[in-house]
Formats: sequence, structure tokens, C-alpha cells
Amino acid sequence: MPRIQLVVIQPTPFCNIDCRYCYLPQRTSKAVIAEQTIANLFSQVFASGWAEDGLTVIWHAGEPMVLPIDFYRRAFRLIDQLKPAELGLTHAFQTNGTLIDDDWCAFFAEQRVNIGVSVDGPGRLHDVNRVTRAGRGTFDRTIAGIRRLRHHGVPFHVISVLSAESLAAPREMFDFFVSEGIDRVCFNVEESEGDHVSRSFGEAGIEDAYYRFLREFWRLAAASPGKFAFIREIDEATRVVLRPKEAVFFNQLVEPFAITSMDWAGNIATFSPELLGLKNAGYDDFILGNINRDQLTELAEGPVLGKMQADIAAGVELCRQRCEYFSICGGGEPVNKLAENGSFVSTETTFCRMTKMRATDLVLDLLDLVGQRSTELSDAGIRSLGTELPAGGSRSDALPLV
Amino acid sequence: MSLPQKYLKVVSELVTPGAIGVALLLGSAAPAAASPDPAGQQSTRAQDERVSERLAAIREAVSAVSGPQTQTEGRAGDQRLAWHNGWGNGFGFGFGNPWGNFNFGQPWNNWHNWRNGWGNW
Repeated sequence: MPRIQLVVIQPTPFCNIDCRYCYLPQRTSKAVIAEQTIANLFSQVFASGWAEDGLTVIWHAGEPMVLPIDFYRRAFRLIDQLKPAELGLTHAFQTNGTLIDDDWCAFFAEQRVNIGVSVDGPGRLHDVNRVTRAGRGTFDRTIAGIRRLRHHGVPFHVISVLSAESLAAPREMFDFFVSEGIDRVCFNVEESEGDHVSRSFGEAGIEDAYYRFLREFWRLAAASPGKFAFIREIDEATRVVLRPKEAVFFNQLVEPFAITSMDWAGNIATFSPELLGLKNAGYDDFILGNINRDQLTELAEGPVLGKMQADIAAGVELCRQRCEYFSICGGGEPVNKLAENGSFVSTETTFCRMTKMRATDLVLDLLDLVGQRSTELSDAGIRSLGTELPAGGSRSDALPLV
Repeated sequence: MSLPQKYLKVVSELVTPGAIGVALLLGSAAPAAASPDPAGQQSTRAQDERVSERLAAIREAVSAVSGPQTQTEGRAGDQRLAWHNGWGNGFGFGFGNPWGNFNFGQPWNNWHNWRNGWGNW
């Protein structure tokens, strides 16, 4: 039976800005989801028995905050009325931050909404890609929104897309986050997806640049305890590498319906959320069906899902056979395989070499450095014992602390 | 020293009661920015041991150090051990619920009192 952990809703494809790396083709459309579509989705999600406790509903691309607060009040109330009492559910927004004001902050606090703000670093880095339709930078408006959140005590994290320029500037990125009191950070890389071809992926040495960025950011963060509560790429890589053998690994992105995505029209997709909105004749644009017409549980038996699932599973199997990093990845991200390799039935991508392999290499390298340092200290302690131990005496209290 | 022995030693030190957060400890070992590129070092990719074997040895070591508690308590939260949802340029999803019951980095529900944190907590 599928387990839905994350529901991604695109309440409108419209976005009020026009980032250069955006892969969403319909971001000028001002269509808005109908309340009935929301009701159809959640009544079926809850009736299916597939929803996991702790379900997250993320209101996502285009820009969710172009819709009024009242829209979300009604939507949240509707979902709450349909939800089984015992099921935990959290709402989340991923926003460009430009529309955050005091009223939104009050709403977020009242509804305990998880907020993620997209900001790519200080103005000179952010404004390279995150621009209006007129081509003007959006940094000033985004940082004003972040400061509003902080002013109201609304917890949030940021997602920063790393370009070749920001990868070369870990200290500047670090100083920016610290100066703005941003203590929960996630890094994305500029990916090739849909029609967007990553500029970063074409740069020579980009994978090592990612390694160096992460290493330096990690070093700086470790040297400033208390400045960060969460650095997603570091925390995740560490916990995935340093896990007990009994822990079962689960890659949401290759499990049907673990992430269930719906657009404004009620079209349903799964696996990588970016697939919803992309065109592909071979997989019927990745749309499994429409919640206003079809039964969610029947979509699991549909031909589109069957074809995607078979191909994605074949790609995962290739990863299992060929990749040294399979145990920390679980078969990668389907959308990247398709965009970079032209097929789900494939293995390595630049995306996975950067974000999974190099991140894992870094944890392994640091573990080795900790081990070497500890050995050196122990050896020094043993030598010290040999020369300084008083005859017949114990010096255990003099052993070096490691 | 064999791989299992090597990582058992390292992991044991990382989880020493009272030790600072693992992320802090590992980050403190990172060389400064001016250090050579990983390709020029005795880095992960240059070593003889296969990455898959090293990762397996680390998991064995974590299990050995954390003890039977892992095996009984680890199941409840194991599905949370998903690689990050860093999907999409500028999009994605960060972590759990920061409003209360703040829990973004503990995939195994108290399987061990070892914090994967950034502070002395």
C-alpha cells in the first residue's frame, strides 16, 4: 500500500517573479485551484488510508502567496474538516518571500505554517537569477520579507540555489546568513530540469567546487557554534552516512505516491514533484489522472504510473548494481535522470555526483580526519606515558582527551 | 587497522557521552579553505577501500556502538530516513515542524542520546 508523506499543491501556476533558472512553463498563467478540487483531493487521500501520520501539505509553485490569505483560511478549514482527528497534518509554504507582510506573518503564526523562503545569498548573488519580469533583482523585497518573519518570531528556513559564483563564495554566503539571523539553511544546486539547462552543470570542476563549498561552510559553522540550527545538506549527509545498519533507507522520490503532487486543475503526479508541469509524450506529461474525474486509488493501477514505475525501478536497479553510493541514495532522483540522461532507466547524473556523492565523500573524509587526529593524539599520549610515567605510578589522568 | 576496527574507533569517539554535536565535531576537523582540492588529497576517491565497504563498515560501527536500543527503537522512525527533498531550482522542502516538538535531524526517535546537532545540547 502506498504511503503518502508529502502532498504538494500548486494552487496557481502564476509567479510574481521570473527567475532565470525556473523550469515551470506556465508561470504566467493566473489560473487558481477550485475549492472543490481541494476537497476532492483530501477526501480521497484520507479515505484511501494511504496518508501517513505527520503528513505535510506544501503549497508550492508558482508563488503561493499571490493568492489571498482568505483563500488559505478556507482551504485549511476544509482540509481540517475532512481530516481524521487522529492524523497529524502540517501546512508548509515555499515562497520567494517578496509578498510577506505583517498580515501574512500573523496568519503563519496562527496556523503554525512551516515557511521556506528562497533566497540565493546576498544581493549580488541573489539578483543574478531571481528577477522580476522586467529583469530587476528581487533581493530587497525578499530580505524585507525575511526580516518581517524574524520580527514576528515566525520560524522559517531558507533554500539557496548555488550557482558557480556562490559556490566560490562560501564565506560570503556564511556571513550573509549570520548577519541576517538565518539559522536554518538548505542548499539546492542549479539543476537541468524541463527546458532549463543548468549553467552550473556546464562548468568545469563544478563537483569539486560543491565539495569545497560545503567543506568550508561546514568549517565556518563549526567554528561558530549556535549560529546554525540546521544545515540540510550537512545534517542529512551526516545522518544518512552515520546511521545504524538496522535503519531502513527510504527514497521518497522513487516510491509511488510518497510525494503526491497536484496542480491547480486537479492533475495528479508523483515521484519527483518537478515532473508536474513538464511535457513528455512518452509518459503523458507524467499526469496519472485528474482528481476531479478519477479515483485516487485507481490511479495506482493506471498505465502511466505503471510505465513510469517500471522505468524508474529499472533505473534504481541499475544504481543498485553500479553505484558505490547506493546505500546513501536509494536510486537517485528520477527528474534529474530524465533531464540529464534522457531516460529514467539510467544511473549517474551531475546532480547526484554533486549533491550525494561529493557530500558523502566529505563526511567520509572528515571521519577519516577525526580518526587520524585521534590516532595522532593517542600515539602522543602513549609516547608521553613511556617517558613521563613515574616508576610504579599510574598516569591515567594524564591521557589526552580526544 | 581493518575498516570495521577503524570506524568503530572513530564512531565510538563521536558518541562519547558529553561530546559536542557530531556535526560540530566533524566540521571542526575540516581543513581551511586554502587547502588543496579533494582530488589532490588523499581523499575518499583516492583511497583503496571501496566507498560502499566504508559506508557499510560505518553502519556496522554505529550499530555496535548504539547497541540493542537501536534495534528495538529504530524501527518507528526509519521511514524518515529519506534523502533530502532538495528538488527543484529554488524549490524544495526543508524539514519537519519548527513550531513545536522541534525535530529535524533525529531519524531514529531516541535510538541513542547522540545528538547530530550544532550546539552543546
